Amino acid sequence: MLRRTLNIGCMAAASLMLVSCASTPSASPSADEVVAGGIAVVALSDEPDTLDPTVANTFVARVVFTAFCEKLYDSNDSLELVPQLAASLPVTSADGLTVDIALREGILFNDGTPFNADAVKITLDRNLTLDTSSRKKELAALQSVEVVDDNNIRLTLSRPFSPLGAQLADRAGAIMSPTALETLGLDFGTDPVCVGPFDFTDRVPGSEINFTKSDYYYDKDLVKLDGVTYKFITDPNIRAANLRSSDINVAERLNASDVDQLGADGVDVLDVSAIGYQGLTINIDPTMSSSPLASSVELRKAFELSIDRDALNTVVFAGQTTPDCVPLPKQMAFRPDDIQCVDFDPDAARALVEASGETLPIPVELLIPARPTDQKTAEVIQQMANDVGFDVTIKPVEFVSALDLGRAGEFDMFLIGWSGRMDPDGDLNDLLTTGGTNNYSRMADSEVDSLISEAASVTETDARRDLYAQALDRIDEIKPLIYLYHDTWFLGLAGITGVEYSADAIPRFKTAELTK
Amino acid sequence: MSQKMITAKPKAASSTPRPRWQRVARRFARRPMAVTGLILVVGFVLFAILGPILLTDPNQQDFTAILQTPSFAHLLGTDDLGRDVFARIANGARVSLMAGVMSTALALIIGITIGLITGFYRGWVDVVVMRIVDVMLAFPFLIFAVGLAAILGASLTNVIIALAVSQVPEVIRIARGEAMAIREQEFVSGAVADGARDGTIMFRYIAPNAMSAFIVQATVAIPAAIIGESTLSFLGLGVQPPMSSWGIMLTSAQQYLAQAPYLALFPGIAIALTALGFNLLGDGLRDVLDPKETR
Amino acid sequence: MLQRVITSIVTLFLASIVVFVGVRLLPGDPALVLAGETADPAVVAAIREQFGLNQPIWIQYFNYVGQALQGNFGVSTRDRIPVAEILLQRLPITLELAGLAILVGVLIGLTAGIVSAVKRGSFADYAANVFGLIGLSVPHFWLGMLAILFFAINLQALPASGYVAFTEDPGENLRRMILPALVLGTGLSAVLMRQTRAALLGQLSADYVRTARSKGVSRNREVKHALRNSLTTVVTVLGLQLGALIGGAIITEQIFVIPGFGKLIIDAVSARNYPVLQGAVLVAVTGYVLVNLAVDIAYAYLNPRMRLAGGAR
Repeated sequence: MLRRTLNIGCMAAASLMLVSCASTPSASPSADEVVAGGIAVVALSDEPDTLDPTVANTFVARVVFTAFCEKLYDSNDSLELVPQLAASLPVTSADGLTVDIALREGILFNDGTPFNADAVKITLDRNLTLDTSSRKKELAALQSVEVVDDNNIRLTLSRPFSPLGAQLADRAGAIMSPTALETLGLDFGTDPVCVGPFDFTDRVPGSEINFTKSDYYYDKDLVKLDGVTYKFITDPNIRAANLRSSDINVAERLNASDVDQLGADGVDVLDVSAIGYQGLTINIDPTMSSSPLASSVELRKAFELSIDRDALNTVVFAGQTTPDCVPLPKQMAFRPDDIQCVDFDPDAARALVEASGETLPIPVELLIPARPTDQKTAEVIQQMANDVGFDVTIKPVEFVSALDLGRAGEFDMFLIGWSGRMDPDGDLNDLLTTGGTNNYSRMADSEVDSLISEAASVTETDARRDLYAQALDRIDEIKPLIYLYHDTWFLGLAGITGVEYSADAIPRFKTAELTK
Repeated sequence: MSQKMITAKPKAASSTPRPRWQRVARRFARRPMAVTGLILVVGFVLFAILGPILLTDPNQQDFTAILQTPSFAHLLGTDDLGRDVFARIANGARVSLMAGVMSTALALIIGITIGLITGFYRGWVDVVVMRIVDVMLAFPFLIFAVGLAAILGASLTNVIIALAVSQVPEVIRIARGEAMAIREQEFVSGAVADGARDGTIMFRYIAPNAMSAFIVQATVAIPAAIIGESTLSFLGLGVQPPMSSWGIMLTSAQQYLAQAPYLALFPGIAIALTALGFNLLGDGLRDVLDPKETR
Repeated sequence: MLQRVITSIVTLFLASIVVFVGVRLLPGDPALVLAGETADPAVVAAIREQFGLNQPIWIQYFNYVGQALQGNFGVSTRDRIPVAEILLQRLPITLELAGLAILVGVLIGLTAGIVSAVKRGSFADYAANVFGLIGLSVPHFWLGMLAILFFAINLQALPASGYVAFTEDPGENLRRMILPALVLGTGLSAVLMRQTRAALLGQLSADYVRTARSKGVSRNREVKHALRNSLTTVVTVLGLQLGALIGGAIITEQIFVIPGFGKLIIDAVSARNYPVLQGAVLVAVTGYVLVNLAVDIAYAYLNPRMRLAGGAR
């Protein structure tokens, strides 16, 4: 291995300068400590699916896209929109039905193809029309894309849709080289070309994806690394061990329980509260679930009261998650300020259970994906709920099959999370609206439906926040889901500095440098 | 599956001065390794039966006593949810022994029946069965068991079924071979001449004479099945939580390898000792039942 | 002999059906996996169509076999890379691991087996026997965990995981293969030790060796002779152990994160990547059947007295 000698972590470098390394982006040390060029080795928690932004779905693919595939917009620390390939924020017409986007001028894709309005249109049209496009639904409100001139496009919408900007700050807004699309078509993901600091070299399935510094990138003077290699290492312990031995420079999603030890071993650890949530989805359709929970709001309240979110956090996550009772993350600008979660109260829970008139204990089958952390969470919840008169049985099913069961409604309660979106619409719409594909709990409430759709058509932040507050209150009354916590993700760094790691929990290496 | 089988030769009913089992027991008792194996196996069976009764509740979580190293209160320490590791190992012993013994028993019952029938009748039944056996044997044991367990879903019953089915072809082969060999012996032809029915011949004459081969196969198969169960559980295809199994305990121990290595140590030792017990016992029985093979 | 070859071909053909159907019996829809968290029903349907999953299973099977016989195993559903390419990339890795494990197994197993048979009843014999029994009784994955715990975490002497191509850096490649090969080779060496010992003891007590001894042939030559005759057993055992080796490789690769065949299979199961899964399992099964066939043939060649039909397993 090349990068054997990099064990002096950021800690040492930072302490010399009396700057904490845990800030974001991490502090850049003085010039004599960094190494010119070099390849940063990054360990991902899973193998990405295809590197085609139109069809890609995994979170890890989003991580890899930041290396080579920039988007029209990006998000900042408060998950607000900032221009990336666009020249400025989108301009929406008064009726909310047309959106004008000005593009950066004179930049090139990584194959030398010029970036312009035509290229953007080709990408967006592909996202709208390709059969297997996962972006189609995200862009459902987008009716057509029009090239105004070389550096301006106009989007026509079927209805006012304020989350559009957020969608264009994700994969739907990642612009692909028209030349590469022409040659590769459906196989674009096997040799993808976009605008970005690094250019795709090759992929070894099951092992790694390699990138080298791009010659065409508009900001290439800021790019210090010669390249980035993403390796897939699913076991967090092994990611940690490889970080300690400096076999890798960066490890994504470390175990909370390893963080202290890693710090002591000289590995620098950055953390971000992830925008996703974890929760207990309850099947509230009594025709599908035989558990009394399905038909009784009171029992669902009792179940929530029986759960000590703080204890769960301490025991399973070494106190590193953010316990919460709503889907929207704390850093989100649209999150209502006055969220009050109910306190853990086993006595009140027991009283509600006894008042229900059901035969005790009340049976609940808890479906979980068969993964160690989920298993542990479930065992803790089982003990807590059984204490107040429930009889929770755990049904671990391999992840994919669990999703099948969830979708089919074959469960009483399902421990499942959501990776979260930049815009609140993405955390509620389709998940809790009538007939939504991801509405596992079979929630069907017209009030919630109309509040969520109204919020998506309003552009003003305060007004939207207010509508979401009402929607969340109503959801809490029905309780189709018991939200548990927002994850905290840990990024370990060894021998590297200048890595950006902010609100969306995606590490970026544009300005990163290796250190001695 | 390990170990090529060394099949025992059939024994014709011969007149012996002492009952056969007494001779066997004597010879067995003279082998310290075999006796050690027997003690280990009996010990684990007792542990599996009595442990869960005498020890604390293996599923009782105690958030104030998480990841404690072995102490007087918790002989083998506590796990990541503050559960007593010793109690969980005792509970896991039940799962392991059940999976090992039940799957082997099931495989023997099915395999011997099919094997005796095909070996006795030969003909097209034999051809069809042996084709199926060949196909099943074309899959390495673990791939077959993992595939079957993944299709059936995770539960103790399904693990037992998966392990049993994976073992069946091997048993069929052995039983068929025995049936074909013993069938040709005089005392069988004698019985045939006396007009004994086919079923009687197969299960009264052939099966008892092939018994030592079956016993030897069982002692090889049980430890393999115990390791198989722990492997399936380790891969997340085993029993359901909060039930403890040695494999599951090792899976969660993997997360704490650096902080609490003892969590990875004890369940592994339990698997190894149980499998070792059966292997020693099996070696001993093989020597005793089959004196012609020098070991 | 010819019959044995034909049987193998029929077996492989039937096995391919079992693999094809078995893969599709796994619960969970591959299209749903690909469609991801948001899983738009229209996208799911389009994916099903793209990979021909909406056709009746026998049509899927015949299409597959037709293509596979021409060397086209389809493309991976996950990244659209041709399956044949993936298999060719992964196979050498597992072959290297298996080869090293066999080397470890043969070196340790054969030596220990010979020593313990020749010095029967000695302390060395006793120690080898204990080692053999323990080697049989310890599960691979636990041994792997212990190896990582001891060598990677405590001593920090060897890396916990990861793989470097031999062509990229031979030294580093071997450094990373040491632990996995030892873990995988231990079980094999235990079986080999026991079988070698048994075979050698059998040979040493055989009539012709006794005759030779009475004629004053030296112990060394006597052992050498017996050893040559025991080799058939060793070859057979190696062939038989291939199945256990493949199974062990799955677990070992999983623990040490080696991107070989075993890891490919497990990853393909969790992603419901049908083309990759059936391709990989079929190649593994074919290899297994072919090696067993080769062993049978070698056996007949080394030991013509044995009839093929009653041969190895």
